[in-house]
Amino acid sequence: MLSSKVNRLLAQRGPLIARSMTARSAGVCQAHLHTVGAQRGAVSQHAQNPKPDWTKAVSEAEKIVGYPTSFLNLRWLLSDEIANVALHLRKLVGSNHPLLKTAKGLLYSGKNNMQAWGLIVLLLSKAAGHHNVNEMEEDKAAGVLHSQRSLAEVTEMIRTSHLVHKGLVNIHPGLVEEGVALNDMTFGNKIALLSGDYLLSNCCVELAALRNQEITELMSSAVRDLTESEFVGQRDQQNNPVPSHPSECSPVDEWTLRSELSGGRLLGKSCEGTLRLGGHSKEFSQEGYKFGKHLALAWQACLDMEPFLPGSQHSAGTAFSLVSAPVLFHLQYDSSLYDLIQVGAENVHDVDYAKIQSIVSKGPGLAMTKRLRQEHAQKAMEVLAAFEQNDARTALSNIIVAMGEL
Amino acid sequence: MACLGSVRLCARVEKLCQIGQNAQVRRKASSVRLKQLVDQPLTRSAVKSCQAAAAGSSRLLSSVRSQQPGSLPEYRIDPYQLVDDDLKNVHLDVQEELRRHTGHDELYTIAQYYFDGQGKCLRPMLCLLLSHALNFHIHKKDVPLSDKQKRVAMIAEMVHSASLIHDDVIDCSDFRRGKPSVNVLWNHKKVAMSGDFILAVASILIARINNDDVTICLGQVLTDLVQGEFMQLGSKETENERFTHYLTKTYRKTASLIANYLKAESMLAGADEGLTELAFQYGRNVGLAFQLVDDLLDFVASSSALGKPAAADLKLGLATAPVLFACEKYPELNAMIMRRFQEPGDVEHAFELVHKSQGLEQTQFLARKHCIEAQRLAERIAESPYQKGLLVVTDLVLNRMK
Repeated sequence: MLSSKVNRLLAQRGPLIARSMTARSAGVCQAHLHTVGAQRGAVSQHAQNPKPDWTKAVSEAEKIVGYPTSFLNLRWLLSDEIANVALHLRKLVGSNHPLLKTAKGLLYSGKNNMQAWGLIVLLLSKAAGHHNVNEMEEDKAAGVLHSQRSLAEVTEMIRTSHLVHKGLVNIHPGLVEEGVALNDMTFGNKIALLSGDYLLSNCCVELAALRNQEITELMSSAVRDLTESEFVGQRDQQNNPVPSHPSECSPVDEWTLRSELSGGRLLGKSCEGTLRLGGHSKEFSQEGYKFGKHLALAWQACLDMEPFLPGSQHSAGTAFSLVSAPVLFHLQYDSSLYDLIQVGAENVHDVDYAKIQSIVSKGPGLAMTKRLRQEHAQKAMEVLAAFEQNDARTALSNIIVAMGEL
Repeated sequence: MACLGSVRLCARVEKLCQIGQNAQVRRKASSVRLKQLVDQPLTRSAVKSCQAAAAGSSRLLSSVRSQQPGSLPEYRIDPYQLVDDDLKNVHLDVQEELRRHTGHDELYTIAQYYFDGQGKCLRPMLCLLLSHALNFHIHKKDVPLSDKQKRVAMIAEMVHSASLIHDDVIDCSDFRRGKPSVNVLWNHKKVAMSGDFILAVASILIARINNDDVTICLGQVLTDLVQGEFMQLGSKETENERFTHYLTKTYRKTASLIANYLKAESMLAGADEGLTELAFQYGRNVGLAFQLVDDLLDFVASSSALGKPAAADLKLGLATAPVLFACEKYPELNAMIMRRFQEPGDVEHAFELVHKSQGLEQTQFLARKHCIEAQRLAERIAESPYQKGLLVVTDLVLNRMK
C-alpha cells in the first residue's frame, strides 16, 4: 500500500521533476552513468513497451522460480524506516537531488536489470538443483532453498544500496547557492546515505541469519568490490568516470576492470554463493562465479551499446557513460576523440554528447562492443552447457539470447 | 539543589530507567540516591574542578580524582593501562587490514583517516577489559586473550569509525577530534563509499571469526545504528514521548554497539547465558551513561576540549537530555524543540535556559544511575584487576571531559 502511495506521488510529480530538471541544467543531478540504462527502462514503460522477446524471457523465467522477483523489494518497502523515507522523499520533490531519480527507477521496477539480478540467482539455483535433504528448508513449489532466496534478495539489496550511495551529490563550494538549494542537497544526501545504510545493515542481518560464514564473507567482499569501483580511474567533480588517455591502457582492460568491480563480481559471487548453499562443491561453485561474472559483463556491454544503436530510444544529446565500451574502443581507434572528452574532465555534462554520439556511431566501437558482448555471453553459455537440461536452464539461456537481440 | 528532590522528577527518572527495558531495576530507596545527589556538588563546578585537576592529561583520565562519595579504593587502577598491550596496536592493525583489502590509495587514505590513534578507543578498551575479566571469571586464573577476542575489539572500533564517517556526511560537520572532518577533505560520494568499505572489511573479519551467534549479534548493531539515525530525523510531540524517543535513540546509536560487542566477547569467552546477559547489560548501561555525559558535555565543555564545536547538538536541531529536562522548568523550550532551534537566537536562548535550569544536573543524575547499575553488574564478576577495571571505567565515563 505504501509503495503504491509513493509510486502515485512520484508519478504525479514525475513530469514536474523532469521539467524542473531540464530547466535547471545544473547538471548535478543527471543520471549516474551506469544506471542510465536502468532509468531509461523505467521511463520507456510509458513511452512504449520494451522489446517483446526480453519481456517474454523474463516473465517466463519469473514463473519458474515462484513469483516475480521484483516483489523481493516489497518487504523492505513496507517497513517503518522506509515509511519515514517516503515522507522525507516528499520534501525533496521539486528539488533536483538525484535520489529522486534513483527512487523512481527502483519503484517503477520496469524490466530494468535491477530485479533481474535476483532472478538470475534464483534461476541458477534451480538449474543446478541442491543436495539438501531437509524439507523444511526448501521452497518446494519453486525448487530453491529458502536460503537461496535470501541470497537473491541480498544481491538486490546490495546493488540497490550501492546505487543509492552512488547517487549522493558531492557538495563542494560553489556547487549550489546557499539557502534552500543547499539545504535540499544536504537533506537529500542525508536520506540517500541513510537509505543505503539501511539496506546494507539489512543485508548483514539476513546474511547472518543464514548461519553460513563462508557466504557472509563472500558477500561482504562483494560489497567491498563495489566500493572500490568508485575509485577506479579519472573522475569528474561528481565522481562520474572519465576515460584514461588511450595511450595509458587498453580499452578492454579498462572496461573490464570497471565493469567487474561495479557489478560483475557481485553477480558472480552471488551465483557462486547460491551454489555453495545448494551443497555443491567448491569447484562447481566456481563455475557459478564465472557464469555470473560473464553474464553481468555481457549485460553491461548491452547497456553500453544502447545510445549508439540506430533507432535507439536514447534521445540525441543526452548524457551517456563516457567509459562505455563503444567510446573506449573508439578512443583506441582514433585518439583525437579524447579532446572532446577532456572537456568533461571537471563535469561530464560539459561534453558535447550529440557530437560524440555521432562520431562513435560511425566508427568501429559499436561492432567491437557487440563482439565483446558476444564473447561474454558465449562464456556464460558454456558454463550452462555443463548443467542438466531443465526449465530453469532453458530460461537462463533464453535470457542470454534475448539480451543479444536487445 | 532542593528542587532536585522534587517528587515529580524522581518519579520521572524512575520511569525512565525502566524504559531501558531493564528487568532488574533496583529497589533501593530513592532517598539513598537523593543523598548522593545532595552530597554531590553541582555538576558544572564538578566538571570544572575535574578540568583543573586533569589539565593536560588526555587519556589517563583515571587520574582524575573521583567525585563519588565512598568511591572505590581502587580508583588508581587505569583500565587503559590494564589492556595496553592489546590496545596500543589497534589502530595499526586496522590500517593493516584496510590496506590488505584495497589497492586503491585514495580509498585507503580516506578509510584510515580516523584511525590515527587520537580517538578515545573506549569501545575496544571495554571489549578487551571485559574479555580479560570474563576469562578470569571462567578459568579462575589469568588467561591470555584469544585472537578472536582481540579481533572483536578491533572490529568494534572499525564499525564505530565507519559510522562516524557517515555521520560526518549526514551532519555536514566541520571538525572532529581536532582536525577537519572527512567530508570537508574529500568528495562526499567517495567518503560514503569509504564508510561502506570499512563496513565491508569489518563484515569479512566478523565472518572469519566463524561463530554464527557472534555474527548475528554483531549484525544487529548495524541495524540499530541506522534506525537510531532515522529516529534522529524525527521528533515527537509530547514530552513523555520525546524522552522515550530520546532514550531509545540513544540506545540504538551508542549503547547497542557497546552492549552487543561485549556480548559477543562474552560468547567467545565461553560464558553461559546468564553471564552473556550480564555483559550485554553492563555494556548497555555504560553506553547509555557515556552518551548522556556526551550530551551534557556539549553544553559545558569548551570546543577545544571536545575537538568539535560546542552546542553542536542544538545547532543540528537535536534536543538531548539536558534540554528535555530543562523543558520541565521552561515550557517555552517546547516550541523551540518542535522547530528544531531553527529561528535566529534559538540556539543561544535554549543554551541559556538549559544552564539556568537543573537540566545538566538531572542528566548527570541519570548517567550516574546507569553507571551504578553497571557497577552492580560488574561486581558479580569474580574479583580480578580487570574486574576492578570495569568498575573504574564507569567513573571515567561519568567524569570525563572530552
